[in-house]
Amino acid sequence: MKRNHLIALVVIAFLAGALMVTIQDASTYATFEMASKKTPESVTVVGQLDLEEPITFNASTSMLRFTAVDKDGARSIVYYNQPKPTDFERSEEITLTGLSSGDTAFFAQNILMKCPSKYADEAQFSSK
Amino acid sequence: MNFIGEHSLWALAGRFFTYLAFTGALGTALFYGLNWLRPGACSGPDELGRPKAAHEPFLRAGRAAFALHSIGVVGILTVLLTAILSHWFEFDYVWRHSSRDLPLEYVFSALWEGQEGSFIIWIFWHAVLGWFLVRGAKTWEHGTMTVVGLVQLVLTSMILGIYVFGIKVGSSPFVLIRELPENLGLPWTTIKDYMIRIPAFRDGQGLNPLLQNYWMVIHPPTLFLGFAATLLPFAYAVAGWIERRPLEWVTPALPWAYFGVGVLGTGILMGGAWAYEALSFGGFWAWDPVENASLVPWITLVAAAHLMFIVKKKKTSGGLTAIMAMLSFLLVLYSTFLTRSGVLGDSSVHSFVDLGLNGQLLLLLGLFSVGSLILLLVRWRSLPRSNADEAFSSREFWLVIGSLVLLISAVQISFSTSIPVLNKLIGPEGLVPILGEAMAPPTDVFRHYHSIQIPVAIVVSLFMAMVPFLRWDSTPNALLKRILPSLLVSLVLGGLAAWGLKFDQPMYTVLLITGIFAALSNLDLWLRYQGGGWRSGGQALAHLGFAFILLGALISNGKKVAISQNPVFLHKDFPANEHILIPLGDTVSMHPYWVEWTGERVEGHFQIFDVNFYGTAEDQSPGKKLFSLAPYIQMNPRMGNVREPSTKHYWDRDVYTYVSFADMRSPEEKASGWTEEMDATMGRGEEVFVFEEYMMRCDSIIVKSAQMIEETGDLATLDMAAKLTLKHMDGRKETIEVPYAVRGNEASPGEAEFANLGVKVRFDGVSDEPGRFKMKFWRKAPEEQEFILLQAFIFPYINVLWLGVVLMAIGTALAVAKRIAGPKPAPKP
Repeated sequence: MKRNHLIALVVIAFLAGALMVTIQDASTYATFEMASKKTPESVTVVGQLDLEEPITFNASTSMLRFTAVDKDGARSIVYYNQPKPTDFERSEEITLTGLSSGDTAFFAQNILMKCPSKYADEAQFSSK
Repeated sequence: MNFIGEHSLWALAGRFFTYLAFTGALGTALFYGLNWLRPGACSGPDELGRPKAAHEPFLRAGRAAFALHSIGVVGILTVLLTAILSHWFEFDYVWRHSSRDLPLEYVFSALWEGQEGSFIIWIFWHAVLGWFLVRGAKTWEHGTMTVVGLVQLVLTSMILGIYVFGIKVGSSPFVLIRELPENLGLPWTTIKDYMIRIPAFRDGQGLNPLLQNYWMVIHPPTLFLGFAATLLPFAYAVAGWIERRPLEWVTPALPWAYFGVGVLGTGILMGGAWAYEALSFGGFWAWDPVENASLVPWITLVAAAHLMFIVKKKKTSGGLTAIMAMLSFLLVLYSTFLTRSGVLGDSSVHSFVDLGLNGQLLLLLGLFSVGSLILLLVRWRSLPRSNADEAFSSREFWLVIGSLVLLISAVQISFSTSIPVLNKLIGPEGLVPILGEAMAPPTDVFRHYHSIQIPVAIVVSLFMAMVPFLRWDSTPNALLKRILPSLLVSLVLGGLAAWGLKFDQPMYTVLLITGIFAALSNLDLWLRYQGGGWRSGGQALAHLGFAFILLGALISNGKKVAISQNPVFLHKDFPANEHILIPLGDTVSMHPYWVEWTGERVEGHFQIFDVNFYGTAEDQSPGKKLFSLAPYIQMNPRMGNVREPSTKHYWDRDVYTYVSFADMRSPEEKASGWTEEMDATMGRGEEVFVFEEYMMRCDSIIVKSAQMIEETGDLATLDMAAKLTLKHMDGRKETIEVPYAVRGNEASPGEAEFANLGVKVRFDGVSDEPGRFKMKFWRKAPEEQEFILLQAFIFPYINVLWLGVVLMAIGTALAVAKRIAGPKPAPKP
């Protein structure tokens, strides 16, 4: 059984290594303030779209610029170098992954939107 | 009360079938269990190979209960299908998931779109597979069926939809909207003909447009059949370990394990095909948590299925095999929990909505996991011990190592997918706050998963290439030399292919070579050493198929080219992106094509964009129209617009494109050319600041003519006008008159334009305040050129992947068929 134990050890070592790599890789949920301290590390910010501020999309560079409010209520201008997602303005919550420029803006690499639940229409029965 | 137009009897029937299925499952577990666990039953078969006849009544009762359960399940399906087909929108499930205009073929997609429906299809497959156990499991029948009964009991409880002591148990698909908790006691629920009176009941919300795709008709049932197939090895393993037969269970479970490998593998990649065709994330695999959750049980099932051979042949590795078999089923349960609990909300695009069943899901998962763990711990000692090490050149040694490599792969994927769960457990706001800050999923998922999964794929493909050549116990060197030809050929072929395809990452090149090695050596094994017949081809074909899947995935993803490179330079640290702007009627260069956008059309729910691809000098066809694609945007006012790709398939590559941005305003809106409507109330001499750059002044209100009806003194006709002066900040000035007329009871607001300044005014009439008037202003929209943004990729050799899927499905089917049809004491050569 000696070799079997050795194999078990090797597998456990590999497993531990794989998990270490994996944990190192995990990003963190942050606010804009935390994000600016972590630059140039990528972070995930969960927040909302600020509809009061202009949302502009320049099609020729496909650059989207908007303002987001994080969970602490802090605002930041966000640049997203991708086409504007459909129904962007309707999103209830947005999850931004990307990095902060350090002071003024957040550069999003990815945006995940949580749209109003498709069950929202159900409320129409409750109001009758 | 009788409600007009409501099919409450059907709802009742649906409920009845649900309860029947539930009690049937209870009876199955109970009676089979009683028969099984009575004293002396665990000592194995009697001399006829049948469960002991003394307790025949319990066995018969168990079978009868399972029959009732099955009738219930079929009944549930029938009622739900009927309700969807007949558009009975008083059913909450029907209203939420279908609509009148839903094409017939998608009725099935609607059936399993929701959580309840997907539970039903899962339960249904379990019931179908259960009958194979009843018919063919022989001495294993009572043990395995007790497990099946317990699983079905727990699963049917997920669709009960009852409240026990105020706790919701399950969510029923047969709830009427009138009966929803949030609607209870509302006045309309007592109106007899509410169905007719309330317009919302005339049509349902419709099926999510993303799911209106033919892959969504077959992908979910295939995937769930694969999920269901993991139950059988689990049931056999549990039965075997309880009966102190920790090795024998493997023989009957083995074909089912391979059945599961084939079906689940196909089901997962059907989901990939759907993602490739209907979603616009540009590829067939995105390492999305929902995809991962179905992949991980497949990986452990593959490991379990291979380990079973060792148990069967060598009577060793029984513990690891049982762990892997049980883990596969438990991971299916875990994946159900992940995708349905809403816990993935932040990290996945397609997780289900939380139905408030988390507690129940966790209980289900905990029950089976803890039960399995205790069973393994308690019975570990009953495993036969062997003190000899396996030989280095033996097949069993490398199969064990291979399965451990698969385990590493499964653990990494599970871990990263479970980050949201870990946050709930040990995050700063979790149960046991260990972490200082919440972990988020990796920002670059591809790099993250590939860093572990590509090395794993390399090792796995090497094993696939070599282990089939090894013998049990030990392999003579002469036999080892059989691998050499395919090794040499694949080194040359792989090197050439890497050079031809311009592979620059060493890891990719290695995987390319080992993938080709796996494909070639299995082909070689089958054709030269196994006779090349269908009967013997299962193993080799399945391996060949999986090698093709790896190769296809590697080449099509590793060498995926975005041909839509945006030429605009932004910043050296901000790479120009891969979305190209095409003005209407214009042609842009997308190396190696010229691409023209000729126009758009609306067909039903689809806004279709016609795009032509022309050849360039490079492929000797400059200016020749090669093909047209029609990517479209599916418009759904309720669920938002969905961009859908269009793909030109060549044998060696796919040209894939979708519209990543388009102006979706209606043609009227675009044509009117007037935007930024604003309201104002003005009196004589008043000024309003409009559009942040003009001052609008009402100079005077002129009454041109007015006629009274003499008898009553009412106004018969009136013609008046407002004289307005618009002044721009830069000093430009223009004055116009806007008319307004009344004829009897009818008022006709007049419109006029400041032609030079580009502002339009409508005179809407008298305001409530005396002496003031209602006006509306618009400004002219700047002339805009219509355009779309397009993203296009070339996926080279993606057909290798699909071919691999087909080969793997055929291979596993052959292997299963061989084991089912084989001569009775099936000896494997």
